[in-house]
Parts: sequence; structure tokens; C-alpha cells
Amino acid sequence: MRTGDYKQTYGELVALIDSPPVWLWSAVLMLALIAAPYLLNAYALSFLMIILITVTGALGLNILTGYTGLISLGHVGFLVTGAYAYAILVSKYHMPPLVGFLGAGLVPALASLVVGAPSLRLKGLYLAITTLAFSFIINTVILEMRWLTNGARGISVQRPEMLGISFESDAAFTYLCLGVAMLTLLATLNIRRSRVGRAFVAIRDNDTAARVMGINLHAYKLLAFVTSAFITGLAGALYGIYLSFVSVEGFPFLLSIEALAILIVGGLGSALGAVLGTVLIVLLPEATRLVFSLFSAQLDAVFTTGAQELKSMLYGLVIILFLRFQPRGLVGAWHDIRRAWVNWPLRY
Amino acid sequence: MQYLLQLLISGLAIGAIYGLIAMGFAVIYKSTGLVNFAQGEMTMITAYIAWTISTTVSGNVVVVAFGAILAGILLGLIIERVVMRPMLGEPVFATVMVTIGLAVILRSAINFVWDAYPHGLDVGMGRDIVRLGGIGVRTGQIAVIATLLSLLAAIWAFFRYSKMGVAMRAVAADDRTALLMGISATRVHALAWAASSVIAGIGGVFFALSYDLSPAMFQLGLKAFPATILGGLDAVLGSGLGGLLIGITENLAGGYLGSGMKEIAGFAMIIVVLMIRPFGMFGERDIERV
Repeated sequence: MRTGDYKQTYGELVALIDSPPVWLWSAVLMLALIAAPYLLNAYALSFLMIILITVTGALGLNILTGYTGLISLGHVGFLVTGAYAYAILVSKYHMPPLVGFLGAGLVPALASLVVGAPSLRLKGLYLAITTLAFSFIINTVILEMRWLTNGARGISVQRPEMLGISFESDAAFTYLCLGVAMLTLLATLNIRRSRVGRAFVAIRDNDTAARVMGINLHAYKLLAFVTSAFITGLAGALYGIYLSFVSVEGFPFLLSIEALAILIVGGLGSALGAVLGTVLIVLLPEATRLVFSLFSAQLDAVFTTGAQELKSMLYGLVIILFLRFQPRGLVGAWHDIRRAWVNWPLRY
Repeated sequence: MQYLLQLLISGLAIGAIYGLIAMGFAVIYKSTGLVNFAQGEMTMITAYIAWTISTTVSGNVVVVAFGAILAGILLGLIIERVVMRPMLGEPVFATVMVTIGLAVILRSAINFVWDAYPHGLDVGMGRDIVRLGGIGVRTGQIAVIATLLSLLAAIWAFFRYSKMGVAMRAVAADDRTALLMGISATRVHALAWAASSVIAGIGGVFFALSYDLSPAMFQLGLKAFPATILGGLDAVLGSGLGGLLIGITENLAGGYLGSGMKEIAGFAMIIVVLMIRPFGMFGERDIERV
């Protein structure tokens, strides 16, 4: 009987995937995702696209908030910066989309240095408020710099064509999102098990102790900001392409909250948690709508008229309920279930 | 000169509203160590309830004022009891995220219950213009500044002299020791939430009186952030004064630099302030020793 999860060498501890069944399931999931664009209808496919784009963004925020413990309430600022960087480079200056994506990562990364540097002295709530301020300042800057950003009118964006492949169709664009999401997942998993990732977690768990251990707090916090902003910017560019239009209104402040909700629901500090949280939060309104419509047409009508309000009420409720009853998120719940299954009939 | 004075006075009036809401933030922070991200939404609900009272029951100023105060107290107590008390003893991050969740719920609940159109709150007074040295000022604007100043005095006296005020300071300083000394932390928290809700609600009602009610009002909470950070999160009086400063700065920036600057003047200001004095102008410096 398997009684626990024993690691005997350092290599086992930092292995990307530590058991054969996980390899199997990952391969099955990967194949399913590759087949999905041909099997799903356009409506379901749009959900898949949103999930893949959101996963990318959530993984980006996870590096900052989940790994390093720096709360950001202004991540939508990086998202919108990335989207605008891509739109301006590609739509306005007709650069190749690859350059656009590079810019979509680099510009938010630079912006994050501007926020990160003054934030180094701040902790916890004060940092959250500075990042919040940043996202509002970014919005105003975008609206004011009309010569570059078209102000409130926004910029329309085409689906890209890269390396001779056109991503015009929904299926092709889903593959692009899938590729970016997979690369991000691998990258964040690898960051977590590297020296840098362990330094991030040390800062989150106890920054004074981390400092005593010789971790340069300022450098690593800035690094967390830059990495996180880079990935979030990429997600922003993808989101802009998905919307086919980049404007300040397309990136409401609620997205920042949604991103934090995803991390909390999934399980803070876990890449798997970010993925699970995204799937749940993105599908939650749709699932609720289905349940409502099962009950009666009247409830369904209420849902259609007040859909936006009910949707955001659900976010709020889900955040509160998870924090109250399952603070470790879906990943924590999964660990509990697994332990109960393995140890049954013993409690532990 | 006339223009400058006009900007200063309207800055003071809006700043007094920010100050009231900022005091709401500070009261909760001081006794529970939390930043209540739902403050703007609570402000807004109280204002909407006042509006409902004025249109359906009576437009009498006394009735509306009492109704709004009562609603504010109830709202604060309910939120403390139902949402915040179960989170007692949880990490600060979790509890603050709960207030964010609460903010999202309240905001959409407002859109759901009331409509999305702007409304004017009419209680028969507050909109008439009096001339002070050649400058037109609304009576509502004078009233809000007076209210802020008298509330500042009252709260100062409360924290200084009353038993409950001293208990609140004790819980804020060290809740475990306070508990050992026989102070009920839950009662202190409940009082703090009720007080914060009422003070901020008064700000909201005055805002509705001078400007208009609309679903975008929750942004008042975001605008009051800079005020409370500027004054110091744990400084109730400082937050009130911070509000006045932010109001003036905003109006001057809007008047001389353009409307875009008006939106972000407060935020730009707190980033600078936080870099120099991370604990605000009147806040207490946290000293950590290893």
C-alpha cells in the first residue's frame, strides 16, 4: 500500500512530473486539447480560447502573488499594456506579429519596473494599493496619448500570420493560444523548481528569513514583477486579438479581481491551481445559466436580463466561500480527497 | 484669482466627501487591521437607500438623514456579523480578499436592485447657491465641510476620552493583550464596522446631494484611497485631512493641467508619498526587529 509521497533524492524532489500516471493523464489531456478545435462547435471553442488566454494571464499573476506573495490589484494594467503594445506595433506600424508579441511582453515588463521599484519598500496592503493606482494611471495615460493609442477610440487588430501560418480561423487561433498557454505552464513550472522559484517562495513565506539566507529581496521582487508582467502582457496581446479590438473599455478593472479570484479558487501558488481555477471561473457563469434554465424559463429570463450583475455577484460569492471554507482552493480539496482515498478507512 | 478660489472651494467640498469615506477606511483599519475594499460600495448603498427614502417615503431632510444613518449602521453590523466575523483569526490577505469579494457582490447587487441611470437626491435644500465674497457656493458644499470638521472633533474626543474609544485603540495596538484585559474584540469590531459604514454613508449622501447618484459612485471608494494613504491608514483624523488635501490637489490639477490629470492626481500623489513616508503623513511607523 502506498502510504505517502516519499522523495529520496534531490532530483525526485524537483522533478517536473513525479509519477507515471500523471504523464499518462497529461498526454491524454494534451491529445484532447489538440483534437478539440475539430470536435467542438464555434460556441464551445470560444470558451476554450478564453480559458487558454486566461490561463496564461493567471499563471503570470501566480508568479507574483502565488509564488512571491506580492498582492497585485492592478494586473489588468499589464494586460492592457501588452494588448496596446501588440496593437500599436502590428496594426499601426505594420511590424511582423512576432515582433508584436515580443513587444507585448517587453513593454509591460518595463512598465513593471516602474511600478516595482517604488513598491520595493512597501508590503502587503500598501503594495496592493500602489498596483491599483498603477492600473488607473495606465488607463489615463493610454487615453491621453492619443497620437499613439487613438485615445478612447481604440485600435482594431487582425488575427496574425506568423512564419507562413495564418491564424485567421478559430481553430488555428486556438492552437496559437494553446501553444502560448503550454509554454507558459512549462515555464512557470520550471521557474518554481529552479533556484529563482525557491527564492520567490522563500520571500513569500518569510522575507526576513529569506534575506538572512542571502536572498537579495529587491532583485528577486523586481524579477518576479518583470516575469509576471511579461507573461501577463502576452496574455493581453492574445486577448486583444481575440476581441479583435483593443480599447480601455475592453479591459475593465474587474479583470484584476477575476484574476485574483482564479488564483484563490484554484489554490494560491500552484500552477495546477491556476489552471483549475481558470476553468472553474470561466465556465461558472455558463454552468449557472444552464442550471437556471433547467429549472424554469422565468429564472432563465432573469439571468439573461441581469446576466452581467449575476455573473459578477457569483465571482464575489465564490471568492468569499472559498476563502471561508477551502482557503487552499481546488488543489487543496484535491489533495484532501486523494489523501482520504489512499488512507481509507483511516483518517490519516 | 477668482478661478483659483472657485477651484479651491469646490476642491474642499469634494475633498470633505473623500475625507469622510477615508475616515471610514481608517476606523476599520485602526481596529481590525484591514483595508476594507468594499468601502466605496457601502457608501453607495447608503446613498441609494437615502434616495429611495426621499422618493418613496418622504423628501423631508430629517427623515432622510435619520433613515440613511440607520441604514448605514445596519449595513455595517450585518456585514461584520455575516461576512467578516467568520474570518476572525484568518490571515490578513484572506480577510482583505473577502472584502474585495464583498465589494463585487455589493456593486452588482446595486445594479440589480436599482437601475443604471443617474438620479438626483432632492431633500429640498443643499442646492441653493450663496455668495461668499463673490464666489458662488452651494449650501450642501458648506454643510459637508462643516460635517467633516465636526465629525473630526467628535471622533478625536471619542478616541481620547470614551471607554469604548480607548478599548478600540487597545484592540488595534495589540488584540491579544486587549482580550486578556477583558475587552470584547467582536464588540469592538462590530462598532468599528457600524461607525465606518455610517461615516462613509454620510459622505455618500452628501455626494448624491451635490452631484448625482449613479452606479459609478463606487469609484468614490477608490478616490478616497489616496486620502487615507496620504493621512496614514491608521490615522482617523489624518485621513479626514488627507481627503481635503486630495480634493484640492485634484481640482487644481483638473483646472490647470487637464481633466485626465484630475483622475489620477490623487494616485500619483500617493505613489510619491508612499515612497517617502510609507506609513502616511500622520500614520505610525511600523518598526520591525529581527
